[in-house]
Amino acid sequence: MKIRKNASYLFIAILFALGAVMPMVLKQYHLNMLTEIIVFALYAVSYNLLLGYAGLLSFGHAMFFGTGAFTVAVSLIHIPGLSMWGAITLAVALTTAVGFVAGGLLLRHKGAYFALLTMAFNALFYAVATKWHTVTGGDDGLSITRPDLALGFTTVGMGDIASFYYFTLVIIGAAIAFCWYFTQTAMGQTVLMMRENEERMKFLGYNTNVSRLILFTFTGAMAGLAGAFYTLHFQFCSQSAISIDMTTTVLLMTFVGGTGTFWGPMLGALVYIILQNYLSDITDRWPLFMGLIFVFMVLFIPGGLTQIIQSIRNLFTGKANTGRPKAAKEVAS
Amino acid sequence: MSDIPVFFLHGLAYGGLLFLVSAGLTLVFGMMNVLNFAHAAMYMLGAYFSYALLQETGQFWLSLMVCPILLFIIGALIERFLLRRVHIFGHVHELLLTFGLAYIITEIVKWVWGNFPLAVNVGGFLNETVEIIGITYPVYRIFIFACAVLVGSIMALILYKTRLGIILRAAVNDSEMVNALGFNVPLVFMGVFAFGAALSGFAGVIAGPLLSTFPGMANEILLDAFVVIVVGGFGSLGGAVAASLIIGELQSFGVLLFPKLSIALVYLLMAVVLIVKPSGLFGEKQ
Repeated sequence: MKIRKNASYLFIAILFALGAVMPMVLKQYHLNMLTEIIVFALYAVSYNLLLGYAGLLSFGHAMFFGTGAFTVAVSLIHIPGLSMWGAITLAVALTTAVGFVAGGLLLRHKGAYFALLTMAFNALFYAVATKWHTVTGGDDGLSITRPDLALGFTTVGMGDIASFYYFTLVIIGAAIAFCWYFTQTAMGQTVLMMRENEERMKFLGYNTNVSRLILFTFTGAMAGLAGAFYTLHFQFCSQSAISIDMTTTVLLMTFVGGTGTFWGPMLGALVYIILQNYLSDITDRWPLFMGLIFVFMVLFIPGGLTQIIQSIRNLFTGKANTGRPKAAKEVAS
Repeated sequence: MSDIPVFFLHGLAYGGLLFLVSAGLTLVFGMMNVLNFAHAAMYMLGAYFSYALLQETGQFWLSLMVCPILLFIIGALIERFLLRRVHIFGHVHELLLTFGLAYIITEIVKWVWGNFPLAVNVGGFLNETVEIIGITYPVYRIFIFACAVLVGSIMALILYKTRLGIILRAAVNDSEMVNALGFNVPLVFMGVFAFGAALSGFAGVIAGPLLSTFPGMANEILLDAFVVIVVGGFGSLGGAVAASLIIGELQSFGVLLFPKLSIALVYLLMAVVLIVKPSGLFGEKQ
């Protein structure tokens, strides 16, 4: 167990190192794409903490993402002289609050009820974003300029994509690493065990409702951070950031990547953004293809891409394929 | 205020439509414990099929007959070959599947018919207006409400007066026990799912001329239908009737009284019901 844990941190370090050399290798277009991938990777990882770890299927994750995105845009426009740190802190603080309140109301329900209510809640957020024209810009959206980044000893201009890329890599990378750390804490393990057998956890004296609320709030804050970077990256924020489509996006990423592991959703975000960029050049119908891939995976490969990788690995190492461990777990829950 | 009767009638018409959509949804949910996210996509397909058929033949009554049958077949196929497959993987996968199907259907509709609203004209006496309680009112909206009443009555008759109805109601309560008693529950499930799809398609055919036919129509009605089954209580037909009328009137008068808040009103009602009586107005305790 100890070795596996260290291997994971090593993996994170390798990813960071790889990310650090990317601006020297990639052209501007691809660097933009990679920034987007990193932002969505955090969004997908936070979603998977709900779906994969806690077994909570939420159709309202975009409300956090969108709240984060809009907070940054609105605060940068209306508060003159607000620093980058200030805007991001505001976004995370607000989404944490939203997560806490929404979680308190929604988590009393389970399964399909929870799925439905999160969707309705998200629709409410979307309606507000559309109707509250004076603040959110309604259909027109909001345009911002990235403020410079104050680092204490120096100030870095953020107009250049490479410097913003490094900033994203460090902050979002740290957030993803923190998510990994969270799953390793007693708190994270509690959530995992709650999915398997909540009755027993209650019997052992855990307050499962509180654990679930903390998890929900935490994932909300992480999605809010991703949303904040989404606005900063595109320097634009519209109602699409808070729409049901944004939830669909993260659901596709997470599921295609694989809900069974921590790293699967990051792979999903990578594949999704790349497919989106290249398929949209070939055909306007790329969402249809994504949908078909998704349904195919739901039907035949419930473990997503990570399951495929796992089977290939087992093929080479000669281990007998133990069937579908993920599927077996789902039945038990 | 002379507008009040008009808005009341508008509310009835929309409530009738909502009932047609949510009745199938709540039956499927009560019985199979599957929240069908693709349900509103069936409704949209109904509207588009009807549009295509009207373009070809111009016969509204024909499309009102044919489209629900098409949707019945599609619903049966989805249940038999897709939904039943993922059933063993558990609840989350069933939701994911129906969600994915809804996504695909929406994309196909955008592909075939384009991402813009289409106008549907029914023709005949349905286009005219009629004089009731002192106001001139479109026949079509009255027709919608009449359809809802008719379908609701037939459903109630089947559910509460026939042997099939007894099996259905028993399956809502405890499908495993009904299966153990020797009834073919998978077949019943398939029938109910297909019937729900057909009902939804029927609603779509009717909705086409009233609201516009466009790819976003599924999501619009889906959320309202969700609110209906939450407010009415999951799996309760009587609840669906009451909640549909309440939501219909609320939507209608909301636009009149608080134009800016009309969308939020519906969710507000849902929030209140959830806090006061989480199982819904007519729902049983979970």
